Amino acid sequence: MSDFAIRVGVLKLTDSAPVIAAHELGFFADEGLEVALSIEPSWANVADKLAYGALDAAAIVPPLAIAVSLGLRGPEQRLIVPYALSLGGNGVTLAKSLADAVRAEAVRGGSVVEALAARLRGTGAKLAVVHEYSTHNLQLRYWLATAGVEADRDIEIVVTPPARTLEALRSGRILGFCAGAPWGDIAARAGVGVSIATSEQIWRHAPEKVLGVREAWADANPEALHGLLRALYRAARFCDAPRNAAYIAALLARRAYLDVEPHAILSSLPGTLGGESPSVFHRHAATYPWRSHAYWMHGQMARWGLIDAVAREAVGAIYRPDIYAEALGPVGAAIPLSDEKPEGGHARAWSVPATPESITMESDLFCDGAVF
Amino acid sequence: MALRVLLIDSDAGRAASLTLALNQAGFDDVLGADAGADLVETVRRLSPDLVVIDMALPDRDALEGVRSLSANVPRPIVMFADKDDPAFVDEAIAAGVCSYNLSGVSDREMKSIVASAVALFRRYNKIETELAAAKSALEERRVIERAKATLMAKRKITEPAAYRWLQRTAMNENRRIAQVAADVIKGEDDNVLLA
Repeated sequence: MSDFAIRVGVLKLTDSAPVIAAHELGFFADEGLEVALSIEPSWANVADKLAYGALDAAAIVPPLAIAVSLGLRGPEQRLIVPYALSLGGNGVTLAKSLADAVRAEAVRGGSVVEALAARLRGTGAKLAVVHEYSTHNLQLRYWLATAGVEADRDIEIVVTPPARTLEALRSGRILGFCAGAPWGDIAARAGVGVSIATSEQIWRHAPEKVLGVREAWADANPEALHGLLRALYRAARFCDAPRNAAYIAALLARRAYLDVEPHAILSSLPGTLGGESPSVFHRHAATYPWRSHAYWMHGQMARWGLIDAVAREAVGAIYRPDIYAEALGPVGAAIPLSDEKPEGGHARAWSVPATPESITMESDLFCDGAVF
Repeated sequence: MALRVLLIDSDAGRAASLTLALNQAGFDDVLGADAGADLVETVRRLSPDLVVIDMALPDRDALEGVRSLSANVPRPIVMFADKDDPAFVDEAIAAGVCSYNLSGVSDREMKSIVASAVALFRRYNKIETELAAAKSALEERRVIERAKATLMAKRKITEPAAYRWLQRTAMNENRRIAQVAADVIKGEDDNVLLA
């Protein structure tokens, strides 16, 4: 790889699919870009490499992009989020015995989360998330809180990188985890864990990965950034087509990427029915960096003391729907007329005004019916 | 060394003395051309093994000729000038000059200057060729990936089966896998990839 290659980091996750597909199918090359993909072992690695300038961009969870950009962990490195990569795809997996007990109780009446809350309350049990600044941490805390279980007071939340969740659960170090696909499925296939809920049961079509880009790199390479977005958008359409799921699963399963059994990946891809709810890569404006998503992340981070409550506008400014419109408007992508939408306000499919034509959206309900 | 040398110099006196220096260093086949001549055309016509450019003052316009030479008919290029200017030397090297020297070198120096310029050129050329080969191998891999995705979606087959189909077809038709893959994605690329 030459010195000019754009260095992009991804983790071993199903929702890295658009980035890996854009690389392998030559969509980056079609835009005249040379991309060096870097498969990172953990979110901490991605954050550090962005912070020290060893990566130019990464598929990243929004709270971590916010944390790096505002210097909340490690050195500050200004990032922008001009593009989103996926919706949904996370799951809560519990040790088999706990999952069986929770399921049995839920069958007798009440919800899964209430049954789980009753088992966890005051036990100090350890549940893992993939990083402190992750959507998984915010979703798990949100979900448990709706049933009166407060993280830090009732239970302990620890950090385990996604690819190490199986081993942590098997060893008994944790009782369960919230992680992205395919790791819930991997634990289930190994007979160690049982999926008890997906992110769909917490927040339907929740924002998941975004493209975090170092602002200094983006400022110096505006054309390359536009090309990067166009290539990813093309890959997103490819990854969202059910007919391509078998290829994507085979591609991601390779040793150079996830190095897992392809069937575990297949179940979390669009158009396939499996244990985990599939990621959405293109439909329902999945690629648009909604500023209202940024505000929700900020609100939840502030709720759990991960960020200053007054940082709301600084967080909103990290999201750059203007760059999305500049890069993708000219190639015919629908651009929403507003960069904010009511989060949680839609029980059924709806339509968001956009140019040149409106976009069909799906339900975005929260488990407790809240609207943000 | 039986190298054919093309000497570019607009000053007949300087050209004669440098020719003599080259002859004494063992290079007998020295051809001359004026600095105003079309360098690319002259190199094409005379097909020298080495180009020597001699000038009194560092001349940026001369670098234009060097650049088009490197781009069109690459040869080892040795430059002689009376003055040393570090910024100009950088530019000259970037334009494709292998060796930049001050005028008035001895026989022994001339021999080693030419030898190292030729060696440097060969090494550089090898790297360029390897880079081009690596790039085209990467392109072929991408075409094959697209063809596999197309075949898997259209024929509902597995990835290994799609690759075997490409292999078998290439073997039967006595063509390269990349060529067969290019045919598969022709017209199908946008249909299948962007479905």
